This record gives sequence, structure tokens and C-alpha cells, in this order.
Amino acid sequence: MKKNTTLWLVISMLIVSSMVLTACGGSGALAEDPVTLNWNWGTEPPTIDPSLATDTTSVDVVGNTFMGLTRFDPVTGEVIPYLATSWESGEDADGNQTWTFTMREDVSWVSYDAETGKVSKVEGHENVTAHDVVYGVKRTVNPETASDYSYVLYIVKNAAAINGGEEGVSLDDLGVAALDDYTVQFTLERKAGYFPAIAGMWIANAMPQWAIEANPDSWTEPENFVSNGPYVLESWVHGGELNLAKNPLFFDADAVQVERVHGVIIEEESTAFSLYENGELDSTSVPSAEIDRVKADPELSAEYTQIPVPCTYYYGFVNTKEPFDDVRVRIAFAQSIDRQGLIDNVVKGGQIPATSFAPPGIFGAPEPGTVGLAYDTEAAKASLQAYLDDKGITIDDFNAMDIVLMHNTSEGHANIAAAIQQMWADNLGAEVRVENQEWGVYLDTITKDTAIEEVPHIFRLGWCADYPDENNWIHEVFNSDEGANRVRTDNADFNALTVAAGEAQDPAERAALYEQAEKMFAEEIVGYAPIYHYTAMNVTQSWVTRNFPPLGANDFYNWTVDEAARGN
Amino acid sequence: MLRYIIRRILQFIPVLLAVTLFTFVLMRAIPGGPFDHAGDKALPPQVVANIEAKYHLDWPMWKQFLSYLVGDDLLGEEGPSLGVIRGDLGPSLRYRGQTVNDIIETSLPVSAQLGFMSLLLALIIGIPTGTIAALKQNTWMDYTSTFAAVIFLSIPNLVLAPVLIWIFAIELGWFPVATWGAKPPFFLGIFPRFSQLNANYFSHAILPVFALGTSSAAGIARLTRASLLQVVNEDYIRTARSKGLREQTVIVVHALKNSLIPVVTILGPAFAALVTGTFVVELIFGINGLGKHFVTSIGNRDYPVITGVTLIYAVVLVIANLLVDVTYAWLDPRIRFD
Repeated sequence: MKKNTTLWLVISMLIVSSMVLTACGGSGALAEDPVTLNWNWGTEPPTIDPSLATDTTSVDVVGNTFMGLTRFDPVTGEVIPYLATSWESGEDADGNQTWTFTMREDVSWVSYDAETGKVSKVEGHENVTAHDVVYGVKRTVNPETASDYSYVLYIVKNAAAINGGEEGVSLDDLGVAALDDYTVQFTLERKAGYFPAIAGMWIANAMPQWAIEANPDSWTEPENFVSNGPYVLESWVHGGELNLAKNPLFFDADAVQVERVHGVIIEEESTAFSLYENGELDSTSVPSAEIDRVKADPELSAEYTQIPVPCTYYYGFVNTKEPFDDVRVRIAFAQSIDRQGLIDNVVKGGQIPATSFAPPGIFGAPEPGTVGLAYDTEAAKASLQAYLDDKGITIDDFNAMDIVLMHNTSEGHANIAAAIQQMWADNLGAEVRVENQEWGVYLDTITKDTAIEEVPHIFRLGWCADYPDENNWIHEVFNSDEGANRVRTDNADFNALTVAAGEAQDPAERAALYEQAEKMFAEEIVGYAPIYHYTAMNVTQSWVTRNFPPLGANDFYNWTVDEAARGN
Repeated sequence: MLRYIIRRILQFIPVLLAVTLFTFVLMRAIPGGPFDHAGDKALPPQVVANIEAKYHLDWPMWKQFLSYLVGDDLLGEEGPSLGVIRGDLGPSLRYRGQTVNDIIETSLPVSAQLGFMSLLLALIIGIPTGTIAALKQNTWMDYTSTFAAVIFLSIPNLVLAPVLIWIFAIELGWFPVATWGAKPPFFLGIFPRFSQLNANYFSHAILPVFALGTSSAAGIARLTRASLLQVVNEDYIRTARSKGLREQTVIVVHALKNSLIPVVTILGPAFAALVTGTFVVELIFGINGLGKHFVTSIGNRDYPVITGVTLIYAVVLVIANLLVDVTYAWLDPRIRFD
């Protein structure tokens, strides 16, 4: 009998404690049946701290919970007003360029209470002001914050020196200041016509100083999170799901139709696609194995969209490694790649063949196919022959140099490498050995500091836009004074050209200078062989109207979900 | 027996220390660091230096290891680390703002629930199937179960899991496609809360448990069969029969119990492997378990996560092996620990 009593006591305690736990775990209700978008983030966002975000998932969350000074038009990619209503360029007493942004006065800091399900203004910090922007920018540049993308702000006066920990400069010397509560001014190191795009990036967001200082390591958890954008962070089970709820106090809340983003974190693309087919996701990417079926299916093909992505896939030549130290060899290799054939038969995603670097949609990018070396086997062969004759060697001697093409380990990269290896063999008679390395090891191998014997002759890489301007492309990647310079070029004229293009004030002049730089790098220097501009393959349910922003975060606040149509 | 157990537990300390040291050193020996790049982009050296300073990656290796082991305060340094000895597994370098403890707290219970159910299923299917196959040796029952075991052993989960999803979730619509039915906070840190133990929880669990359990069941069945076949030919079984014991008693009490020793031996590592998470099944079923961290943390060069999950695995493994050894004594009276 005694035993039985103890047992009952234990069981009833378990029941009571589970009820208590349930009560704690319950999330507050929004509207009864909120208009919900069922979304897959694809991966756990590594962080939702604007100063630290670097990847697309993190940027998606930050972009929907915070307002940048500017943002990109989701359709045209143009820089348009957001937290700032207008901006103008000027000059300070020392002749440095300044950019002055006038801000909205009706944007509030809000927090979400999971128990009541209510969004409320933060007491004492009702309005988002210029001081919050100044704090955000300083926080990103502060070396103690250890922000990966702090370097994007190096264009701001003294940012590089402060971030690099140089003596004699402090955060107070940073070229950003609040002229009044709603006017913020940036002073730049050098002129930059593209600065309004940078000012809209997440790393330059207004940030809630008091909330960050209260919980430096956990302010991005739902219970501590403070934000100012169209959505608030409703809940976040790390690795499992992250849900957003509409911010009813958002200045333009009436225009936001989707009231809740139910976001799961499913990494496996084919599983996400199965969820989509089951109606559990409203939009997802199409795994390459399913493309043919999607295109053939009458229903799925109607939901299918192929979208250009501002990324470029390229093969870099190590310009100092024999025989690629001779431009004729680089021309021969770049000109004998049949890009269209590769896209049609190997990658199959409707990508755009690339002969220059920046893809369409980037300011200053040349029209695809107008700049660079087109596929021309005769010219390629002649170029290689000229090199061989000059050196007095045969193609066999050339092949004895053991040319290596390296890529990071991946089936997709391996297929592309095999196809291009075959093209070089067929078109030039050149034999190339393909090697691969694990991603982290690979990036180490192809840096400009690796000994010349250990670096491959040719390496594959991709580049994606941070902001839609050529400065982010030809200048940041290939200017040997600025970028990683993995291709190991050293051309003072080219470097001066990309700098001049960034500083030019007249848009038409800037575009013309960038086109000249693209042309020089692809046709004269031939530092690399561009392969293609990326595309993404997406399916979206018929009840969802969405944009495919070419840049920046997915703009859930501009999308609509027809819940009635979903039911059918 | 108690002395034996205490001695074994004391032996855990050097084993776990060695595991920590090896993982720590080996990971840092791989070229490439956690902050060399963001995506395809190389980061400027001063940015990398800032981040490395924040996580003390600029310290000499011995100092980093000591900091990880005993904490910064005991080293006389300023820093957040309390050391593994005080249960602090450090910050994640990839998921900034989360600690390794956070990650394990969220994902280990899910893996443990899935792994435990799978192991249970494996035993429930495996032992009876193996027993029947052995007792009915060379009959159709033996051939059928051996054939089924070979099939399930040879189909990798990479194939089985998507096929299960396709048939039972998409075509028939009986079960959900993916995700797990319970979310944190967990009861006692591991179990689903009572309110979550409903049809929804189990319908989410069935397919992954089946995928994970069947391959283990197949192995257990084959091992049980082989071992039982050997035991039934032992002298003491003949003795038991000649005493006039019922055949059922002979098999269950005398033969099966002893024949389980090889099965129990593999259960130790199998338990550790299943409970700490399995990469493929969790990935395909979109389950937020610990399995993926064993794999992705290496690519991310997320040193504390790699070391932390390896350490968790090692702890579960040594404890499981100790339990196995203790079970031997119960299964076979000839085994004594002193």
C-alpha cells in the first residue's frame, strides 16, 4: 500500500510539472487566423545581429525585422528611400565627400511579448533616431564587435584605421554623425557615387544600444529582441524553426498583408520540395534532379520560375604561374570554353553565359556577350600556337608542364570541370589535370600568399553581389591593391581605372568607365575566364504573390497570400 | 562489483582527456580557419584578426587548450570560458550568439528520443526474428528472415528514407513528410512534455524511427541467429534438456540469455551512435538533431562545436560500454568482475 502511494505521488507530480512546463512554452496568439506564409529558411541563420550577419538567411531575417536607411526596389533593384526619405551629397571643409540622409520620424522601436502576443513600443526609446544609426555604424566598425562585414564600411572616413586598431584614432573619429535627431551624415574616405546602396545595408542599420548593452550575448533571442521593421521575431527554436509576426506599429503596417511567417529550417532541398508538394511550404527551390519533372508537369510548370541571381561562376588563372604568365595562353583557354554547350548539357539551369564579370542588374555591368572573349576555337588555337612557336616548344612539351585545374569538392563543380577539361582537350589539344579539395583547405590553397609551386594554374570560384554596383565586382575582386587578388595580376592602369570609376559622379561616366575596366580585364589582361551568371529555380504556390528581389532580403512585407485560395 | 564500476569510472577521465586533446589538436591542424572567408569572399586580415582576438584564437595552442579545459579565470586571463571541467563547452564560432551548450541542449534531446525509439524497435524486431531463424534453421522462416535482414542491412538510409517519404507521406498521405513532433523546452531536459506525447508526435516519429531502426534490427537479427545456433549446441543446453526441462524454458532461460552476449556487445556502440544523432536520417527528415553538427561543424571549422559533440559522443559511449560490461555478468554467470 505504501509503495502505491509513492508511485501515485510521483505520477501526479510528473503530470503537474508537465502542465507547468506547457504553460511556460505556449506562445501568444496573434490574430485568430493570421495570414500565414509557410517558408523554409533552408539553414539556421548563423546570427540575426545586423552587425554580424553575412549570409543570405541571416540577411533575410534582418531585412524583415530592421529598416535600412535605403533599400533596393524588389523589382528593378534601384536604391529607394526606406528609413531615410531623401539624401544628398556634399563636401566637408577638407574636401571629403559627405552624404546626408534625412530620416522618417514615425518609426518606432518595438518588442514582442510571447505571453500576450502583443507588440509594443519600447518605453523611453519610442522613436528610431539618427543617434541609433550612428551607434549601429560605430558598433559594426568597432574592432571589439568583430564584424565580418565591417570592411564594407571602410569607405567611411577612418573606418579602416579604427577597425584595424591603429593608434591615434578612436570611434569618435569615425565619419558618421547625427546632425539632429533625424539627420545623419556620413563623411567618406574617397568619393563614392554608390554610397546610398551601402548605407542601406544591414551593417549600417539603426541598432538598439540599450537592448544590446543589457544582453550583449543574447539580445537576438526572442525575449530580448528589439527591432523596427515590418516584422518582429515571434519565436526561434535554434535549428528547428524561426517565426516572424507582423509589426502592427510599423509605419506602413497597412500595406503589409502577410501577418505571420512560419519558417521551418529544412536543409535538405529534396525534403523541402516534398513538403512543397504536400502543400506545407508556399515556396521552395527546385532540386536539380526534379527539374525535368517540374517542367513536364502541367501544374508544377505553372508554378515554376527561373530567376537570375546576381552571382558569377568563373575560372581564375594564376597570372604569374608558367605557362599562364603569358596572355596568349590565357586567351586560348578562355576562348575555347563553349559556355552555352556547358549550360545546355551539364548545368541545365538556363544560366546566362558570361564573358564579363558583373551580371545584368548590377549598375555598370555590360550587357552579357558584348564584352570579353567569345567562344572561338580558331582564334584560341592560333593564340596557343603563337605561344608555342614563340617558345619553340610543341603541344606535348606544353602538356608536360602538368597544368592543374582545381575546384572545391562538389559533384556539380566536378561535372563542370570534367566538361571544360574535355573542351580544352578537343579544342586546343591541351591536357589539364583536375584536382579538388575540401572548401576550407581549398580557400587556403588559392590565396595569393600560397607558394607558386603549390597553387594550381586554374581555380574555380563564384562571386555574389552585396550591393548592386560594379564597385562590388570588378574593383573589390580584381583590383590588385584592394581585393584578395587570387589571380595575382598587377596592372597599375587597370587599378587606377576601377578607382576612377568609383569616384566619378556622373552615372553615365561611371558606367562607361566600368565597361572599360571590364573590357580591359577580360580582353587585354585576361586574368580569368568567366563561365556563367547564376540562376535559381523556384516553385511558388498559386495562392502566393511574391517578388524575387535581385538583391538583399526577401521582402515578405510586399508579398500576399490568398488564404481562401489555399483552402481549395 | 562496485569497486569494479568505480575503477572504470576513474578510467573515464584519461580517456575523455585524450579524446578532447586529439580532437582539439587535429581540428586545428586542418588548413583553413573558421573566419578566413564569408561565403566565397576572403576577409581582410585585420577583420580576421579582430574576430580571432575575440575568440582567443590568437593565443598559443597550449593556452587555448587550457582555457578550453579549465577556464580563463584559472589561467589568470580575462575571458568568458569556464572550462569543460565546469561544464562550459564554449561558444559556437559559426552560430554567433549560441554556445555549444545551447546547441546540445536543443538538439541532443531530439536525437536521443529518435535514437532510443529506433533502438527499441531494432530490439523488438531483431531478437525475435533472429531467434525464430535459429530455431527453425534451414526452413522457409529462416530463409525469409535472413533474406529480409540482408535487404535492410544493404539498403542505405540515404535511399530508404526518401522512398519512405515518397510512399507513405506523399502518395498515401499517412504520415508527415518531415520535422519532429516535439520542441523545447523538454521534460527533464530530454523527454517530450506530456502535452506533446500525442498522435502528432508519434506520426512524425514513425518514418524516421522505421528507417533508422530497421537497419539496426537486421544486424541484431543476424547476430542473434548466429550466436543462438552456437549456444544450442553447448553441453549445458544438452544437460538442461536431459534434466527434462521444457523446451521453451531451455531456449528462453538458458540458450537465449547466453546467446545475447554478442548482441549486447554491439548494443553499446549502437546506443551511443543512435542516441547522439545520425546525420543522414535527421537531414532527410528535417529533424533538428545533433547529427548534423558532427558533420557540418568540420566544414565550418567550428572548433568548439566539433570538440563538444565529440566529447558528448565519447561520454555516452564509455557509459554505454560500462553498462554492457555490467550486463555481461548478469547474462553469463561465468563472468565475474573483481
